[in-house]
Amino acid sequence: MAKQYDVLFRLLLLGDSGVGKTCLLCRFTDNAFHPSHISTIGVDFKMKTLEIDGIKVRIQIWDTAGQERYQTITKQYYRRAQGIFLVYDITSERSFQHIMKWASDVDEYAPEKVQKVLIGNKSDEEHKRQVATEQGNKLAKAYGMDFFETSAFTNHNITESFTRLAELVLQANKKDLDLLRVSINDQLDLSALEEEAGVCDGSSNAQKTCWC
Amino acid sequence: MDQSVAIQETLDVGENCLIAVQCLLLLRNGTESRLLGLVECSKEHALFLFSHRRMAITGNDVTLQEIIPISYDFSVVEVSSPDELAVVGADTRVRVTFLNEEMELKLPFGSHTRLFLTEVNRAWCDVCEQYPSSPKFAWLNKYQKNFKEPGSLTPSATRKIKKRDRSNTAHKENKHATSSTETIRGESLHESSQGREKAEIRNELVRSSQHTVSNKAQMLTMPQFGLRDNLVKCELLKKEETYTYIENFNFFLGTYNVNGQTPKESLHTWLGSTAQPPDLYCVGFQELDLSKEAFFFNDTPKEQEWMKAVSDGLHPDAKYALIKLVRLVGIMLLFYVKKEHAEYISDVEAETVGTGIMGRMGNKGAVAVSFRFHNSDICVVNSHLAAHIEEYERRNQDYKDICSRMFFRQLDLTLPPLTIMKHSIVLWVGDLNYRLSDLEVDEVKNLILKGDFETLHNHDQLKRQMDEEAVFVGFMEGEINFQPTYKYDTGSDEWDSSEKCRVPAWCDRILWRGKNITQLNYQSHMNVRNSDHKPVSSLLKIGIKVVNEEIYKRTFEDIVRSLDKLENECIPSVSLAQHVFHFSNVKFMQHQAQTLTLYNDGQVPCQFEFIQKLDEPAYCKPWLTANPPKGFVAQGASVDIDLEVFVNRSTAPELNSGQQQLEDILVLHLERGKDYFISITGSYLPSCFGSPIHMLCQLREPIQDMPLETIHKLNSLPRETSSPDTEKALDIPKEIWMMVDHLYRNASKQEDIFQQPGLRSEFEEIRDCLDTGSLDTLPGSNHSVAEALLLFLDALPEPVIPYSMYQQCLDCCYSNSQCKQIISLLPQCHKNVFNYLTAFLRELLKNSAHNRLDSNILATIFAALMLRSPTKQDILEKRKAKEFFQHFLVQESH
Ligand SMILES: Nc1nc2c(ncn2[C@@H]2O[C@H](COP(=O)(O)OP(=O)(O)OP(=O)(O)O)[C@@H](O)[C@H]2O)c(=O)[nH]1
Ligand SMILES: [Mg+2]
Repeated sequence: MAKQYDVLFRLLLLGDSGVGKTCLLCRFTDNAFHPSHISTIGVDFKMKTLEIDGIKVRIQIWDTAGQERYQTITKQYYRRAQGIFLVYDITSERSFQHIMKWASDVDEYAPEKVQKVLIGNKSDEEHKRQVATEQGNKLAKAYGMDFFETSAFTNHNITESFTRLAELVLQANKKDLDLLRVSINDQLDLSALEEEAGVCDGSSNAQKTCWC
Repeated sequence: MDQSVAIQETLDVGENCLIAVQCLLLLRNGTESRLLGLVECSKEHALFLFSHRRMAITGNDVTLQEIIPISYDFSVVEVSSPDELAVVGADTRVRVTFLNEEMELKLPFGSHTRLFLTEVNRAWCDVCEQYPSSPKFAWLNKYQKNFKEPGSLTPSATRKIKKRDRSNTAHKENKHATSSTETIRGESLHESSQGREKAEIRNELVRSSQHTVSNKAQMLTMPQFGLRDNLVKCELLKKEETYTYIENFNFFLGTYNVNGQTPKESLHTWLGSTAQPPDLYCVGFQELDLSKEAFFFNDTPKEQEWMKAVSDGLHPDAKYALIKLVRLVGIMLLFYVKKEHAEYISDVEAETVGTGIMGRMGNKGAVAVSFRFHNSDICVVNSHLAAHIEEYERRNQDYKDICSRMFFRQLDLTLPPLTIMKHSIVLWVGDLNYRLSDLEVDEVKNLILKGDFETLHNHDQLKRQMDEEAVFVGFMEGEINFQPTYKYDTGSDEWDSSEKCRVPAWCDRILWRGKNITQLNYQSHMNVRNSDHKPVSSLLKIGIKVVNEEIYKRTFEDIVRSLDKLENECIPSVSLAQHVFHFSNVKFMQHQAQTLTLYNDGQVPCQFEFIQKLDEPAYCKPWLTANPPKGFVAQGASVDIDLEVFVNRSTAPELNSGQQQLEDILVLHLERGKDYFISITGSYLPSCFGSPIHMLCQLREPIQDMPLETIHKLNSLPRETSSPDTEKALDIPKEIWMMVDHLYRNASKQEDIFQQPGLRSEFEEIRDCLDTGSLDTLPGSNHSVAEALLLFLDALPEPVIPYSMYQQCLDCCYSNSQCKQIISLLPQCHKNVFNYLTAFLRELLKNSAHNRLDSNILATIFAALMLRSPTKQDILEKRKAKEFFQHFLVQESH
């Protein structure tokens, strides 16, 4: 049988506290939903295997703290991501306004090639909607991003949006991938590929101090 | 400690104990501690198992119990019962097997065990790479003698043999016991009852033994083992039945000894004889070419001729693709499939084994093709075994040699090569050369004429040998309803008329082995007269495992999902009782601590560490420490970390001035896991300690009575502004005055003043008194006040003699006038302080009879505080600073 895993890379979830980042991740990896909000204080991750164009893709999804006071620290994780979700809550105008700030931080701290997808979460709460779908669309267009309205609660568009971002990352890295595939016919650690010297990969031998 | 040292002492020169672990040997009635060492000698490895005293330090502490050579038959696997899956991260249980010996050991959790297992695994992989050449282990022989009770070997040896017999009959296709090595055992006689018990346990283990990789979770935490792929494969294999179904395909098998002839007639009557076109063809030839060229150079034009004859003779109603042709001298196998099946054929490998002259040459032997058809693995063998009626044992041996020497490369090169018998379906054709025994030629011909094949079957050597299980164990052959295929006069259907007048025999046979196989037809083809043999064909209906793509995909996804889940569950995780810590009313030089409790709520033990943030020099601010800053938490255990705040002279100035707050976020990182943020906040009470002189001169009230903004604003004023517009400003900070005045009044004659340390508790009272003005007179002993004064000077952000003037002072330290000149240039408030302090010190010196001070002592102490270097001071600089300062301690004579 052919080998099962070909690529490994990192996706990052960003957005204000309470927009549902942790819930999105939980729904995607465990197909579960927790109605209570336990704010993430730190950086958490989970693994998931997808198949895209016949390539087995293992993705490591990082869930970050959305609370403002931690933002200077979470920024420092951006540069190790190949794909980033910018998440707002359609019932919170404020969280939508903040997307601009998140996006500019991403421009500043994430690698140039990083792929972005805009997510308007909690689409199930239509009655409380403060941000029209059209607004989301417009913003996404302005930034050249794909856009999904999702619901972690009803499992709406969850797999779609994760798969889409993974596809985008795959495409963006296709050149490197093809190159690597010729040389080492083994598991590719795209995340390692992206690492700058001196910053280590979470799964390999960690250096004394590092951002993993 | 490294116990391999103790083992090393027991070894011979040239033998090295590479690594050792202390472990528990699992017995039915408990466990016994053992020391397990991996020993290497000239690239061969063995595990040495020792009993030992509590802590083995020297060779005298250990007694050799057992040696397990690491050969091809050796394996070590992690085991655990399914209900133990949850306790990953506990001790590692492994089962070591060698031939039919087996034991279970419990190794301590941790990287050392990992390392040990990795080393053992590496040693075994080396052996596999060398296969089929196997290590000799000659160096182990001497240990056999060294055991305390040499007689003890007998009982265990017989036991072992018995056991092997049983397991051989149980699974007949079991590994061939090739290795000449034996487990060397050191059970002494008086232990034999226990030994028997052990054997029973082992028997039980043998029965229940399943080399499954059940402790998945634990292995997943070791990415370097790359086990994920293997786990997926393993799970897929286990669930094969769910996503495959059996579909029947017709296999046409043919064998023909052509006696060196070229094809002269169509083979259609033989190969195209079935009603429907078969799905696959496997056609074997023997004696394709009897020339010397073919024998020595393995090169013959007959290959193409016969291949063409076969291609032309295949069933006309279907199109076939030749998948593989393999030939060894005159033994050739052709493998065709219907065009539409070609895409389901994979992993095709061909191999040959010669068993002819010298046991190696290709005049006799076999060729074989190994392949997968859909999800079934199939091996087709075409062999030509030894000739002559009396040589049936030689033929048996040829068969065994072919089985043991035929290896197919596997796609996954880390796997050991595949043998014939490892295939779930084996199809064997050929001139097996078995004859009819104990009958005269005429009797045979007579029986054939009468059609009494049954009597003849009783004389067939192959049938007899198979009945005795001497050859082709596990193989089936259909009923033979055709007359012997050997030996005819070429070109005719007449029996051999040469003077040798051979006895007819069923030399040419077709056998199979595997499930879901039925024979539809087994016949010879009399009207093919090209050779002194007749060709034989067999049409088999074989049930092949065909994959239901949809279910396969779903199964695969399920497996991947559950592995993802398992992996996610095994990401190290802890819970923190608290994420936010607040330290209120932190004071200068006052220690405060709070406890951060980490509880390991994950499935694995974990390593934690506070890590540095980008662009910061340390994991936390200088006024904070975490103790311990890194460590290990076992699963279900917790660890207390002390978070300590302490503001000293180097951190106080910025906190006083408001440039810094007591605020920090610690990043607690788990190795291979999450990061946690811990917020530290606090309120700092500003203090005169660590505040600049010019700022203090602006404060008529105690510092803590002032609003914070005022303090911060005053701090930010440049030093020079103190002189002009401020008639309100004090000449010197009142805090200095309070301390000095106190000492002047009370301590002028105090013995050892400035030499004896103060009390910390009294210092804190003095600090509070200065900062809050709560008392009119300073509390504490004279020594404590003296200490406070020194600390005050030490904490000044800008020393009494500002850093900018330091070098100048040293440069002119030998000139009294120049020194005084420099002091006159100090900023006003600094000059005041300097003069005030030196006047006080001169006063003290007047009482040196009582306080035992001299100018040398005072200069040493005060120069270091008032004339501080912006960098590190060397001895010469220190001397100069003292020199400078001493000018101001001589009594002025007026
Ligand atoms: N109705 C609805 N509620 C949601 C949805 N997603 C999340 N929530 C709720 O929103 C709250 C916050 O969700 P979290 O996922 O914890 O938010 P977060 O973005 O991770 O927040 P921080 O960790 O503080 O950055 C929770 O109470 C969730 O139950 C959704 O799709 N629909
Ligand atoms: Mg969260």
